Amino acid sequence: MVGAAAMLAFEEQVVADLVEDPNGGLVVLSSGLPLASLAAALLLHLQQSPGDAPPGGGGGGGGGCLLVLSAPDPLKSRICRLLQDKLQVHDVAPDLPAQQRASLYAPGAALFLSPRALAADLLTSRLLPSRVRALLLLSAHRSSDTSSDAFIARLLRQHHLLPVYAFSDRPHAMVSGFSKAERAMKSLYVRRLHLWPRFHVLAAADLERSPPDVVDVRVPMTPPMRGIQAAVLAAMDACLKELRRTNKVDVEDLTVDKGLFKSFDEIVRRQLDPIWHTLGKKTKQLVADLRTLRKLLDYLVRYDAVTYLKYLDTLRVSEGVRSVWILADSSHKIFELAKWRVYQAVRADDVNASTDNRMGASAKKRKVTHDSTEKGKETENKDSTVHRDNTMKVSGDVGIILEEVLEEAPKWKVLQELLQEIAEEQIARDAENVQDGDKSDESGIVLVTCKDERTCLQLQECISKGPRQVMQEEWKKYLIGKAELQRLNKKNKRKSEQPKGFGVLDGEVQMAPSESAVPVSISKLETNALLAAASELRNITNESDVNDDSNVSCSKKGLVEKAKGKSKKTTVKRQCNNRKNKSKGGNDNGQTTILEGEGQSGKTNEQAETDASKASTYDAFVSDSTTGDTCNYSSAFGDLANGKPLPPVQFHALDSDQHVLDVWKPSVIIVYHPDVTFVREIEVYKAENPSRNLKVYFLFYEDSTEVQKFESSIRRENEAFESLIRQKSLMMIPVDQDGRCIGPTVANEPEPLLCQNSITRKAGGKKAPEKEMQVIVDMREFMSSLPNVLHQKGIRIVPVTLEVGDYVLSPLICVERKSIADLFQSFASGRLYNQVETMARYYKIPVLLIEFSQDKSFSFQSASEIGDDVSPTNIISKLSLLVLHFPRLRMVWSRSLHATAEIFISLKTNQDEPDEKKATRVGVPSEDGIVEDDMRAENYNTSAIEFLRRLPGVTDSNYRAIMDECNSLAELALLPVERLAELMGGQRGARMLKEFLDAKCPTML
Amino acid sequence: QASPSAPTPQSKNAILVSHRQKGNPLLKHIRNARWTFADVVPDYVLGQSSCALYLSIRYHLLHPDYLYYRIRELQKNFRLRIILCHIDVEDVVKPLHEITRTALLHDCTLLCGWSLEECGRYLETIKVYENKPADSIREHMDNDYLSRLTRALTSVRHVNKTDVVTLGTSFGSLSQIMNASMEELARCPGIGERKVKRLHDTFHEPFKRVS
Repeated sequence: MVGAAAMLAFEEQVVADLVEDPNGGLVVLSSGLPLASLAAALLLHLQQSPGDAPPGGGGGGGGGCLLVLSAPDPLKSRICRLLQDKLQVHDVAPDLPAQQRASLYAPGAALFLSPRALAADLLTSRLLPSRVRALLLLSAHRSSDTSSDAFIARLLRQHHLLPVYAFSDRPHAMVSGFSKAERAMKSLYVRRLHLWPRFHVLAAADLERSPPDVVDVRVPMTPPMRGIQAAVLAAMDACLKELRRTNKVDVEDLTVDKGLFKSFDEIVRRQLDPIWHTLGKKTKQLVADLRTLRKLLDYLVRYDAVTYLKYLDTLRVSEGVRSVWILADSSHKIFELAKWRVYQAVRADDVNASTDNRMGASAKKRKVTHDSTEKGKETENKDSTVHRDNTMKVSGDVGIILEEVLEEAPKWKVLQELLQEIAEEQIARDAENVQDGDKSDESGIVLVTCKDERTCLQLQECISKGPRQVMQEEWKKYLIGKAELQRLNKKNKRKSEQPKGFGVLDGEVQMAPSESAVPVSISKLETNALLAAASELRNITNESDVNDDSNVSCSKKGLVEKAKGKSKKTTVKRQCNNRKNKSKGGNDNGQTTILEGEGQSGKTNEQAETDASKASTYDAFVSDSTTGDTCNYSSAFGDLANGKPLPPVQFHALDSDQHVLDVWKPSVIIVYHPDVTFVREIEVYKAENPSRNLKVYFLFYEDSTEVQKFESSIRRENEAFESLIRQKSLMMIPVDQDGRCIGPTVANEPEPLLCQNSITRKAGGKKAPEKEMQVIVDMREFMSSLPNVLHQKGIRIVPVTLEVGDYVLSPLICVERKSIADLFQSFASGRLYNQVETMARYYKIPVLLIEFSQDKSFSFQSASEIGDDVSPTNIISKLSLLVLHFPRLRMVWSRSLHATAEIFISLKTNQDEPDEKKATRVGVPSEDGIVEDDMRAENYNTSAIEFLRRLPGVTDSNYRAIMDECNSLAELALLPVERLAELMGGQRGARMLKEFLDAKCPTML
Repeated sequence: QASPSAPTPQSKNAILVSHRQKGNPLLKHIRNARWTFADVVPDYVLGQSSCALYLSIRYHLLHPDYLYYRIRELQKNFRLRIILCHIDVEDVVKPLHEITRTALLHDCTLLCGWSLEECGRYLETIKVYENKPADSIREHMDNDYLSRLTRALTSVRHVNKTDVVTLGTSFGSLSQIMNASMEELARCPGIGERKVKRLHDTFHEPFKRVS
């Protein structure tokens, strides 16, 4: 029922252009243009016209399978949805056993695959290239001559000519680096580049035929917000200046404007990467600081004041003294203003003790005792009196009282007003409609799109409870968090000597030292005041806990419970439950029935609570049409907040990358966080449904970096396309004439060429041995490009899962490969020592390969950085220690991937070929028996295992037992210590683990 | 002729340098260990059973056979035989390939230094660390709670130190983090969609996907 919308004229043109060339082509689109529907259309086209199979295909004319590579999950689900009844696309999960995978490669089938699985299947001949009809790559910006995409394209094209259709909707990624598009095309063996920017005549014509109504709402920021923004920008500028002073980077690219984008890191890194490990700590820190500052800007417009302050607190702890920016003047301002947006510390005699009154005008002040019972006030006063006694020497006889400011995000109010306005309009229109008796197909749904899920939840609460309430709750959480920490500190360090009620204050004494380490310290007085407020809050909560059952206390209860660790769902909020299904449904390929079933079981709980029947039908809607991964929130509507009617509102997080427009069919869209991609999606949606009325509101903070970012992202994309157009005009000629680009007649050319190369490279130009060389490669290594390059050199790759080493060159030689970053990291974690140890145990010639990257410098450090003394942390010391302890370890230093491949070949001469059966058995504990093929890495939750092995008490000898007996980490966390002792074979380890799991997080906040 | 197995008492704690190395500017950079000239076969004797040969790539390009003959002279007297390769040319791939191959086939460990300082430091370090246990490169635990927590949580991709503190303070303990719902995780500032999913998958997906 959904996705049936007809394709736009320009989309048809894209597909028509693309299939013209039997080699396929590369399509670069503006982001937000409908990549999914293009891919879907192309798949359909290919499936319906298997007749014109390429000439090289021979007898298999019936059309082989269609392979879709490296599609991100949301894209997969969109494609599936578009193809629903017409073509079944199997989503081959990376953990599907190889045998089952093989059975899916049927003629005419369409499959989503991970490059790793596909490479393995092609190498082991589970899939023959002749049985493939076409290859689709949906993120071509990642392709380069050493990427796994290119590897697969080559594996396929080697024996059989088939079209490769590559797509990318990241034009700016296509122009990063030197003639990237051209190189990507060469590596994928395509000759045609199709550019489809938003400003393409056909696209523009289609999209602008009936554009949606757009209302641009500029919301002014509050003065403190502006202040923070200015301060962050100033800090960024300072960092940039500092970075320029290092003379290591090209100044031109480094502007604050560019600094707003993630790609800024890329620019800096691309310049610094070649010399990265020769850089001083300070330069590296500057780069990291810029990233942090960019986040601060972003969060300023995304998070509410309390959360923002909380984030800053966290930053202060985790970044601490390392950061450069945190010491700068402007950062002081950031902290002060951020605090000011939340609370102010005021002297008891009502003189403002906090920094500024300058901006006092804009914010309403409230006393902390929001229930404002006399009793509460007294308590507070008493607290501050007590406190005054304690800190007499510091501040004489002045106490401090907290005044809440709790600034609300300006957009909240605007959003509410907008919604009300829309509701009124709708009511008016409905009245008309009733008169006309003509029921329009409009849903009346208002879609609010935010960047992240968090904002969705918060906005939803804002609407249902009112912004003030939301801020209060955040504030309470903040205070409780503070108090909790304090209590902990106290409990940990010494026993309380004072009666309970005031004991909290005591913790402050211990706080002092850690506090002084913090550059911008909250004054002691303020901390005390915060704690006083928190302890009071606790009292209130406890009381109301017992008596009251109202909405408010309910949420309070929730808070307390959370703090105590019960993490129960509060009943107040109801959110779409598909998240739950995610893990189960994620791989389900959009098979509606299954998903719905699971959806039902997953959400019974919440559904019971749902009384708004309309809202629940929406839920079903979502679970019906998406594959689990979602975060749409429907807010129950009706008599809310201030009793005024609101239209049906849906929230959508852009982060979730879900295509929601077709699902909700909204009549109004409020773009809460503007984003270019989403704007394009709206345009396409509107163009596809020209008859439907659509009104779009954009909420921008006036004069904010938000606007700046939005505008420069459009500019950036246009620049990227202009550059691509230039490149295209230059590149077509050489590509066409160059014999390397294989046309139909020279389909097999690259192969002999490669062979020739490898022959001349084999030591001393001797005749290559008759038998093909082979190297056994660990499955995990397929993430890297070395297998690809080895294959280019004519070596047979045998993909298996190895317990020991990464590459087995011969029965004697086993290689552990380390890139430079890996090397440093695995030295630090101690992993390298273990790896070398096991390698040395099982192989006669254990080899550590240190592989530098071609485009980075070939050295660890500059001479000046070596220092005067032997320092245990230096890489030299670590390597020395390693070779001292493993004198049999051989080291290979390789300049680049290609150099590594040459070295491998030369090491293999005069050695026997490795045996894959033996290699897979090496190092596997006997109780596991023989390991089946390449099953291991695929069938295990590797990230969970890594996590498990890093827990205290978990050792090499007991982690397998834990995995056997315990389903998941979440389950492990709940096991009682006795059970753990059984699993881990000892009380000591079990107690260690349990204590660690349950330990209260001490923090220096 | 002094043999490494019978060093004079005063030279026991020093690097023994072959007379061949006289005039090598590298010697200037050995400052953290004592060294003395001695009649030894290898260029440097760094301990009871370890020795090193020094080779500059520039020299290797002129005399490609030199290394082979020097290695042959060493015989089997040392457990650890280091070839200390000074990378002093720009175009290293081919000569380094040859040296790597020779070292590997003749049971030598290749170490590369890009400056005389670095080469000198390798010699010093191996001498100084002669009897040092491998603790500093073995898996070790920082015993304070936060670094252990960081170690565990940062094994999940994309999770950084700031996130660890955020998670810690929001949930109170690791076991609560591990049992948090997606929504609760998403409520932590700085934890985006991607991290939420990775964290949740790590904790809730079974260790073994297929039983």
